[in-house]
Amino acid sequence: MGLGDQDWREEEAIPLRSRSNSQPRGLFLACWLIGSLMVGFVVVPLIDLAATPSAASLASAARDADLRQAIALSLEAAFLTALLAALFGVPLAYTLARSRSRTSTTIAAIVDLPLAVPHTVAGIALLMAFGRRGILGAPALALFGMQFWGSLWGIIAGMLFVSVPYTVNAARLAFEAIDPRLEQVARTLGLGPWSTWLRIVLPLARRGILTGLTLTYARAISEFGAVIMLAYYPMTAPVQIYTLFLRFGITKAAAASVLLLAVCLGLFVLFRALAYGRAITVGTGR
Amino acid sequence: MTGHGILLDRLTVRLGAFSLNHMDIAVGAGERLVIIGPNGAGKSVTLETIAGFHSPRQGRIVIDGCEVTRLPPERRNVAFVLQNFGLFSHLSVTGNIMLGLHRMPRGRRQDRVAELLRQFGIGHLAARYPQSLSPGEKQRTGLARALAAEPAVFLFDEPFSALDAATHERMRRELLDFLTDTGIPAIFVTHDRSDAHALGTALAVMCAGTIVQQGPVHAVSRGPASRFVAGLLGVDNIFPARLMGESRGVATVASGGMTLHAVGRQTINNTSLDVLVAIRAEDIDILPPFSDHAVANRLAARILHVVDEGVLSRIGFNCGIALQALAMSRHVREMDLAPGSMVDIAISPEAIRLLPPDSGWLGATE
Repeated sequence: MGLGDQDWREEEAIPLRSRSNSQPRGLFLACWLIGSLMVGFVVVPLIDLAATPSAASLASAARDADLRQAIALSLEAAFLTALLAALFGVPLAYTLARSRSRTSTTIAAIVDLPLAVPHTVAGIALLMAFGRRGILGAPALALFGMQFWGSLWGIIAGMLFVSVPYTVNAARLAFEAIDPRLEQVARTLGLGPWSTWLRIVLPLARRGILTGLTLTYARAISEFGAVIMLAYYPMTAPVQIYTLFLRFGITKAAAASVLLLAVCLGLFVLFRALAYGRAITVGTGR
Repeated sequence: MTGHGILLDRLTVRLGAFSLNHMDIAVGAGERLVIIGPNGAGKSVTLETIAGFHSPRQGRIVIDGCEVTRLPPERRNVAFVLQNFGLFSHLSVTGNIMLGLHRMPRGRRQDRVAELLRQFGIGHLAARYPQSLSPGEKQRTGLARALAAEPAVFLFDEPFSALDAATHERMRRELLDFLTDTGIPAIFVTHDRSDAHALGTALAVMCAGTIVQQGPVHAVSRGPASRFVAGLLGVDNIFPARLMGESRGVATVASGGMTLHAVGRQTINNTSLDVLVAIRAEDIDILPPFSDHAVANRLAARILHVVDEGVLSRIGFNCGIALQALAMSRHVREMDLAPGSMVDIAISPEAIRLLPPDSGWLGATE
């Protein structure tokens, strides 16, 4: 290419460099110090927890069949929750991102509602709606034989209710960031509306959607309040840990907690790597 | 129209409070229409309607002899090129071009992509992603992708905004070469006058959803029909005058104690003697000192200011009324023009355009 192209690249680089140089040092240092207290608040209890149980108690927790089953159930239910969130939340996010009507603003607020509702309250509400004689539970039982109370479906209902806002919001932001005119360009290139959505819009929003699903998954695994109202049995990992704490005290509960923590963090890191790792490849070329 | 090209026939579109009114446009093979107008004039809506994103209330859109008024965008065979060229960031250069070929049998796509990459000189970028391309490389990729779909017409919406002057100039030249070579008709939307002159074979001036004037670029830019068009096309000197007489194609007007003669077809109505005079700054000649040969419309003027803009200088005069002229900065230095001094200026009668006095909304929008 000609000279002009190189000029352009150098020009791009200059503002970035000068911005980091012009950072006011005192302010930056103060913010950094204050912020590190926040990081400490999050990290110190977790490290302390991880360091507390003895190797023997960890090993015995790992051999506990009930606990292993509970963790497996949590992972499975959270996975199904994320799947449902993707199936129903992503199309909703797209309509919210592309509509400017008052209805869509209202719906966006409704989607955020679970974030404001205390989880035990959510659990009671779900229990009433999805119970045997509930407004949704009765037809589900009659039509599909689906029972929510004390079942996997109940666990998923509790998890989905509190965690779906993360997927909808992250996906909506991702869709909003896509210029609608790019969709127009795809249409003029000969792609139909569905094909445009699947081949252009969805891949462009992929990173945001995956981030949302990761958050939904993480939130679903950790849900306790809403789940325990609907399904004390079968026990998910947080319910199992709570029971261990009540029956055997903190030592046993701590060992189980560390186990759950390790599994969750491992998955969280893995998902984030999947979501961002691919995106980085897209950004820089192969 | 049955041949190649695009035709809008009395096209009317309503979008809430905004509307496009009775648009008539015809662009044939090898022609390039530039639509120019202020923000909110409806330029982009016009392109979007041609591409199929708004349904017209009335009128027809005909592309290559087929009426497409009710067809969805994917069946209209138009190429829509945006600012930044609308490349898809999740696809490589090859992937972007492939998208334009998705109707072609799978087996032949590879060859066609290779051909397009070669044609646009972007073979070395095949595996790169749009974020790492320069504006010029993006343009070539965007054009290659658009051409892959074999469009009947190109629609460009502000293709060069936000570029530095040198890149702008080079990309405009490349685009012009491309369109001249392919002969595919094109419609541009812009508010850049230099783009309008450099790219267009025809010019349409839009205001509030209506085409207020259209014709060959030169005809429109030399013969604006209203104050609005003159102002939009960069005519610097517009002032009121009184029509004193008209005989054998020569009109005589008076303003601020000076008398000017104008020739050529004028668009004034005959009911009023009040007119507007429009003169482009570059059409005012500064005469060398002591030149006493007779020229038409020779005026004595006092220089008010001289602003050096680089290649050109802008000079303000007072000769009964205030006028602005553009001259080569080199000449300004040679003639030693300075504020306060007196010079003679001349205005060719062909360069004087008489317009109807301001009336109604067209004059008021500027």
